[in-house]
Amino acid sequence: MSKGVLVDLSKCIGCGSCTVACKMYNQNQWIEDRSPTCGAQATLADQNWTVIKSFEVEKDGKPVWRFVKEQCLHCREPACASACFAKAFQKTPEGPVVYYPSLCVGCRYCMVACPFSVPKYEWEKPLPYVTKCMMCASRVTNGQAPACVSVCPTHVMTFGDRDALLEQAKTIIANNPGYVQHIYGEKEVGGTEWIYISDVPFEKLGFKTGLTEKPLPSYTSTFMTYTPIFGGAWAVVLGGIALFTHRKDKVASKEKSESDPAPRKTIEPDERRPS
Amino acid sequence: MPEQYNAKGVFPVQVRGRVPIDPLNLAIRRDDRKCILCGQCVEACERVQTVMGHYDLPLIDQIPCIDCGQCTLWCPTGAITEVDDTAKVIRALENPDLHVVVQTAPATRVALGEEFGMPPGTDIELQQVAALKALGFDTVLDTNFSADLTIMEEATELVERLHGKGPLPQFTSCSPGWVKFCEMFYPEFIPNLSSAKSPMTMLGAMIKTHYAKVRGIDPAKIVSVAIMPCTAKKSEAARPEMNGAGMLWEKPEIRDIDIVLTTRELARLIKSRQIDLAELKPQPYDRLLSEYSGAGVLFGVTGGVMEAAVRTGYYLASGKRPPDALLDLQPVRGLKGIKEATVDIPGAGQIRVAVCSGMSNARPVLDAIRKGEKHWHFVEFMGCPGGCIAGGGQPRSALPPSDAVRTARMNALYSLDERQTVRLSYENSEIKAIYDNFLGKPCGELPHRLLHTHYQDRSMHLNAKKA
Repeated sequence: MSKGVLVDLSKCIGCGSCTVACKMYNQNQWIEDRSPTCGAQATLADQNWTVIKSFEVEKDGKPVWRFVKEQCLHCREPACASACFAKAFQKTPEGPVVYYPSLCVGCRYCMVACPFSVPKYEWEKPLPYVTKCMMCASRVTNGQAPACVSVCPTHVMTFGDRDALLEQAKTIIANNPGYVQHIYGEKEVGGTEWIYISDVPFEKLGFKTGLTEKPLPSYTSTFMTYTPIFGGAWAVVLGGIALFTHRKDKVASKEKSESDPAPRKTIEPDERRPS
Repeated sequence: MPEQYNAKGVFPVQVRGRVPIDPLNLAIRRDDRKCILCGQCVEACERVQTVMGHYDLPLIDQIPCIDCGQCTLWCPTGAITEVDDTAKVIRALENPDLHVVVQTAPATRVALGEEFGMPPGTDIELQQVAALKALGFDTVLDTNFSADLTIMEEATELVERLHGKGPLPQFTSCSPGWVKFCEMFYPEFIPNLSSAKSPMTMLGAMIKTHYAKVRGIDPAKIVSVAIMPCTAKKSEAARPEMNGAGMLWEKPEIRDIDIVLTTRELARLIKSRQIDLAELKPQPYDRLLSEYSGAGVLFGVTGGVMEAAVRTGYYLASGKRPPDALLDLQPVRGLKGIKEATVDIPGAGQIRVAVCSGMSNARPVLDAIRKGEKHWHFVEFMGCPGGCIAGGGQPRSALPPSDAVRTARMNALYSLDERQTVRLSYENSEIKAIYDNFLGKPCGELPHRLLHTHYQDRSMHLNAKKA
């Protein structure tokens, strides 16, 4: 059973503890000049695997402050893993989508494939890799919550079995009409391990809405399943052509030798050397 | 990183989160690169000051903060600090067109020395003046003077309230952390807050009116700097209504106080100019707005405002000099969180007073008043435990703040009071002169325009938890 995190955005006070915990656990650099980790300008970056983005939005005619924790949502059927032909992105049974730099060839198909623009590239480095949140996979495997979840002082995030969290989220929003009656990540792109509930519409908080409920890899999987057959058939066709042309050449040379039996003049080894 | 936060492996075991700080907060800020998520700030904010965790979520349109800066004293890595305004001061000092006036709060003189290796509680009052002169300030004035001025206004207001003009108990209003706390969590008590401004802003208003007139300086050319033991003073100075002098001159853009520096920032400024505080020859404060009574200096310590107000209140209500016993009001002294006393004042009867410091102690006091369990006449509130001597802008001599340091600074202020020949605010000759020559009567028309203020209900910006 895969693990997930339920994020209740109405509880976030924007302290940014999670972003610090992420830097500490993953030993990432601070690049505040280039990409801040907190505030209205906060952006995911090669060194920022999670950020807290602040929003001032209108709710019931009054301005309210809300904070959104952004990181990899760990899709149940990740498009990045599907796009990666080197298997550098792999979905673990526990939930995290893990990136293996040693397998990466640097094609950055993952960055194109990701519907949430999560994978980032280390453009500043001479030997760059792709980076992204790994959901602290080693902690999750040991049954521990990801670093960011473990430090939240207001318990915005709950770590647990994804299915149980989904039920919990459903109960919360059903019993509290203040919440938007939608669980972000329940069905988006086939569902994500990180799911969000909020008291402010998701589209006002920078979430991509209107996404398909179909897992992105399923769009390609129907024709991609024909790849072996197509490959095999192509091999047969090419092999046939090769056989045919080889045979044609053979037959042609054979016919030529039969019609012109005169032996060719051969150069004797002694004749080549100057005497 | 301190050892206690290190654990085997890459991630410390003792991570507990931190307080939220608005990046636009005028008082405090945080360097994320230094934060180790130890949770000490949460401890200070939630338990000592009862701010974080005492409001329901979601947030409304603010990150609730009373700007007290206690978190800056608890942070073990120095990640949370005051907003550094020293550059503004340097710019003002370097501008020959500007007349830069500085005032020093009661509590900075017994703490600044700690930044220069002196033991806590070393009184360096006059070396501080010398250092400020060496830094290039044109005039050095003493907030102790305006503490006496505050007492004249606040004690007069108390006597008026005792005669039925306004609700009782009267609450002190000189601690901006406390004032913001009251506005946020207990707005129903705003009418109880004394309308008197804090000593800092009172002196600011006097500098840009009386001082400017006497010295013949254009008030728009005066930069008023305040050296305070407090981070909340930075946001107090920025409150839009703190322009009493400007309103009088019909130039609302003139602020009572332009820049506030904490004790720590002053120490940095002195060090950056390579001035050795210990080696400086003591220099006196500039005259006009600097004489102070023993009562004025007590503003720096919990119970001090009460003691000072009682001394002058006694005189105002009875017309007599307070007895010597009132000059040593032991029940309101010391570091106990909540202190009570009853004072017999002829003409006013038994006056019940209470003193509390640290907002965790303010809650039970306010709740008791709200429930009608207690009927005090006058209550002193100080935002920081121990009062200004342990304010959020003071040197970080003990980590976390210790009672030993607090006591040393406190005793230094009490001995300063004892050493003064004048120990009653109303006997301060500069105070008498300023009322005779400029202000008129305490709580009169001009004092009301210059020295009094109003407060705003901030409860709509947070969902305060119900007691």
